[in-house]
Amino acid sequence: MNRRRTALPAASLALAGMFALGACGSDSDSDSGSDAKAAPALKAHGAYVPQPVMADMAGAFLVIENSGGKADKLTSVTSDLTDEVQLHKTVDQQMQRVKSMPVPADGSLDFARGGNHLMLVDLHRKPVKGDKVSLELHFEKSDAIKLSVPVKATNHTPEK
Amino acid sequence: MLKRKTLTAAAALCAAALTLTACGSDDTSGSGDKTDPAANVQSEQKKGGALLDKPFAKPDLTLTDTKGKEYDLIEETKGSPTLLFFGYTHCPDVCPLTMSNIAIAKSKLSKAEQEKLRVVFVTSDPERDTPKRLGKWLRMQDTSFIGLTGDFDTIQAGARSVGVHIEPSYEKKNGDVVSTHGAQVLAFSPKSDEGYVLYTERTSTAKILEKELPAIVKGETP
Repeated sequence: MNRRRTALPAASLALAGMFALGACGSDSDSDSGSDAKAAPALKAHGAYVPQPVMADMAGAFLVIENSGGKADKLTSVTSDLTDEVQLHKTVDQQMQRVKSMPVPADGSLDFARGGNHLMLVDLHRKPVKGDKVSLELHFEKSDAIKLSVPVKATNHTPEK
Repeated sequence: MLKRKTLTAAAALCAAALTLTACGSDDTSGSGDKTDPAANVQSEQKKGGALLDKPFAKPDLTLTDTKGKEYDLIEETKGSPTLLFFGYTHCPDVCPLTMSNIAIAKSKLSKAEQEKLRVVFVTSDPERDTPKRLGKWLRMQDTSFIGLTGDFDTIQAGARSVGVHIEPSYEKKNGDVVSTHGAQVLAFSPKSDEGYVLYTERTSTAKILEKELPAIVKGETP
């Protein structure tokens, strides 16, 4: 059977998600769906790295959308900028490292200002606005996704 | 060196509620129809700083500045429009975002206005934020920014007096150090020296600050 593609109002969902998320992340529902044959279908977009203040850390933000009927999990991220990328969720103004993050079926995993973020530590160099940084997203089920991510201004926040 | 003063732990209520806005909308997965609770809250208030019915007194904080000198917040900023934020430098998202927004908005002010404005960043993570590190981090954003560090309990009490809730940094088993940043920027009037306008994570954008700082500098209602 083919992958089921549910038509999602992609843009609006992503944006609303980023906005609503502002917070603790969608870590609740992972394995939903009794639909065992469906597979996750992942796409990443809107990725950016705000220019860090110093070379010891940077954040990264993006949206991973899953239009498949099966949940997946982001298990790790690698980058040319550092040997260590951590997955963080923010709870009550504190960031907590987590080992993986669910990408819900027919949903999205959002890394957005004030909420989840990727934290890149001990950078090999300090990237500046206009640079590109590579990010490779690794998942439990799906193939890895490679991204070339633009470095934006320190205060960059995507328009709603 | 650090003066310890007992501070009234009273006023936390108002902003504690505001602090919470960061959390709570954890069901973002769902399907098509979404009513965005955050958006609803937003639409109820004007897009900008919140004028406080009950302004905050300036926190009675004497701490160490980035040059290692004693800095008495009340004394040093008396009669100056002042923005106050509690955060830490090992912070990849909200702290640099907030300070960068302030730096950008400040750069749009006239030279005279810029000279009046005091921007004070008090660390919520004094263990890691030495005067030297604070200075280096802040200088990257704006050379005029004032950075303060010192005894955590003193800082926490000062934060609490203006409704900002911070927890001491702690180390987890995996070696991560977890720190807290405040969720708001407080603007103090040059006329009353009171904190009368409050910006949350949502309203402390460069755009809003740029629009409102000229009024803040005069101690007027933005």
